[in-house]
Amino acid sequence: MAKSKILALSLCALAAFSLSAQSKTFKIGYLPTSIGQPNTNAWQAGMMRVFSKEPNVKLVALDPQLSAQTQVGMMDDLISQSCDAIVLQPVDAAALSGSVRRAESQGIYVVTLNTATLQPHTASVQMADIAAGYLVGQEMGRQIHGRGNVAIIESPPGATLGVNREKGFREAIAKLYPGITVVGAQVAEGWKKENAITIMNSFLQANQELDGVFAVNDNMAEGAMIAAESAGRLAQIKIWGANGQKSTLDLIEQGKIAGTAYNNCFAQGEQAAKIVMNSLAKGRLASIPTKTDVIQIPPFAAMKGTVSQISQQDRW
Amino acid sequence: MSLAALRRLILIGLMLAIGAALAIADHVFFTMGNLMTILQQGSLTGILAIGFTLVMITAGIDMSIGAVVAVTSMVAVNFLSYTKIPVLLFLPLSLLVGVVVGSLNGFFITRFKLPEFIVTLAMRGILSGLALMIAVRDSTGFIQNVYIQDPTYLWFGGQVGPVYIVTIAFLVLAFFTQLFMKRTRAGTNIYATGANPAAARLSGINTTRTIVGVYIFSGVCASLAAVFISSQMMTAMPDLGIGTEMDVIAAVVIGGTPFTGGVGDVWGTVIGAIFLALLKNGITVLGISPWIQPIVVGGIIVLTVIADVWYKDLAEASAARTARRARDAAADGAAA
Repeated sequence: MAKSKILALSLCALAAFSLSAQSKTFKIGYLPTSIGQPNTNAWQAGMMRVFSKEPNVKLVALDPQLSAQTQVGMMDDLISQSCDAIVLQPVDAAALSGSVRRAESQGIYVVTLNTATLQPHTASVQMADIAAGYLVGQEMGRQIHGRGNVAIIESPPGATLGVNREKGFREAIAKLYPGITVVGAQVAEGWKKENAITIMNSFLQANQELDGVFAVNDNMAEGAMIAAESAGRLAQIKIWGANGQKSTLDLIEQGKIAGTAYNNCFAQGEQAAKIVMNSLAKGRLASIPTKTDVIQIPPFAAMKGTVSQISQQDRW
Repeated sequence: MSLAALRRLILIGLMLAIGAALAIADHVFFTMGNLMTILQQGSLTGILAIGFTLVMITAGIDMSIGAVVAVTSMVAVNFLSYTKIPVLLFLPLSLLVGVVVGSLNGFFITRFKLPEFIVTLAMRGILSGLALMIAVRDSTGFIQNVYIQDPTYLWFGGQVGPVYIVTIAFLVLAFFTQLFMKRTRAGTNIYATGANPAAARLSGINTTRTIVGVYIFSGVCASLAAVFISSQMMTAMPDLGIGTEMDVIAAVVIGGTPFTGGVGDVWGTVIGAIFLALLKNGITVLGISPWIQPIVVGGIIVLTVIADVWYKDLAEASAARTARRARDAAADGAAA
């Protein structure tokens, strides 16, 4: 009798445990540098393609508005609220490292997008940075026949993704095209289109001969295009961006922007979400990772002749 | 009960109500870890806000505090990257940034009678540039955000038991500043200068020294906050702290210090800073859409200020009624 009671109780406990395991809701934090940008929206949409099939997943999206300090505060909120995983696009690789370590010490998985923190973590799904910049340098150099003046619209200081794209671009120009001179490089605060317009105007004023401009993201490339068009010099200047957002692809088709280093952000988001789900299936993070699993998506040079290869459903 | 005390009670009641609602919505809200995180975040804003409160009591404004955070943290990471000077020796030097900037702000405001907003906004611009100039760079010349690993420096971002060191520092600073404001002649001078500078001067108060003093104090608070913020983040960037002015202003205004000067106190600001941190934390607990978040925070701040103005009007009307009744009663007495 006692044995059967123990057995019945054990079965009840097991059933209750399995029910609670099944019904456990996973809280996943999504913390990009800024909400509402085409790439951050596309990542979220890509992630939702995976998460919407999982009834027990709740995604909490937060907007640190490009401030590393705010992002650290939001990370702390997510950690103290026992999130199960965080998908993070760090504003800064160093600034978010402490937060990533704190999350991992609480058993929270961290997957980064585009920029890996210095602190190793579960995985980083990245658009190519140095390779993307190199590709832009290579293709722009070819378009301007290996000689002339080019300028760079830079990302905010310390933003690893933008800095690495610029490094790749400069490397390609120095290595492949000794006849090309970089005549100017200026920071557009907040990676913003409106700031890029001002900078492009100053480049146009300072350089009567300007053959190419590399803006390290598409928003800024669109700003440069607006300024060049207003000055009536768009036809003479090959403007390149990086990311591959839909509006920029449209402008490439119209012949207003020369090209961009395209990345499929939907696929990137999907990949990050799959990594999160695979990790959660193993339970909480058991130990702090010693190495980040970096998945780098190779860039594609979207130009007037190649942009049609990107299907409509892959445009974000 | 005074208006300030009642206002504070209402704010605390509102905080408890929001806290209870959040705890019902999600049990994680009421965990020790989460409550300490709220206090930590409130403290980071709060240290800046304490200095700012004194400036606002003089009817001034200090838009340079965020940039002081940036420059102070850049000075600290330069020491950490390029020298072997122990942290406890270079920290006082980093705090000097706040003293120098505050002195300059106070000097330009009092010597040339320039508007506080313009002077401190210009200072913000100058300091933002300076932070970029002195930022640590990598071998190729690009600005490098240093990953701080010095254990002494990181101690400031740590905890004593469950409580963050920044929270202890914040409460100690608040206690002594409140004591200074309410129990010393210098504190009274600050209130008098804000309420009516001409009358304060006529009654023998050195308003120039008072104004310079509060800007120096605000600068020092900003430098102190820089140490805690960079230590918590384990790094420092040239734009660290820039943009936090809005949160600081919100905390001070919610705490009951008006832009018009002459009134307000530090405990109000403490409550305001924690209230703001609670709101932001609550948003993540509830998983409110990021599109709605700024509307919720902005809306609650506006409602708080409207309630404040409404209650002030009500209190003034009630006081006027009481005075009228007393006058009438006195007139009746005289007639009888």
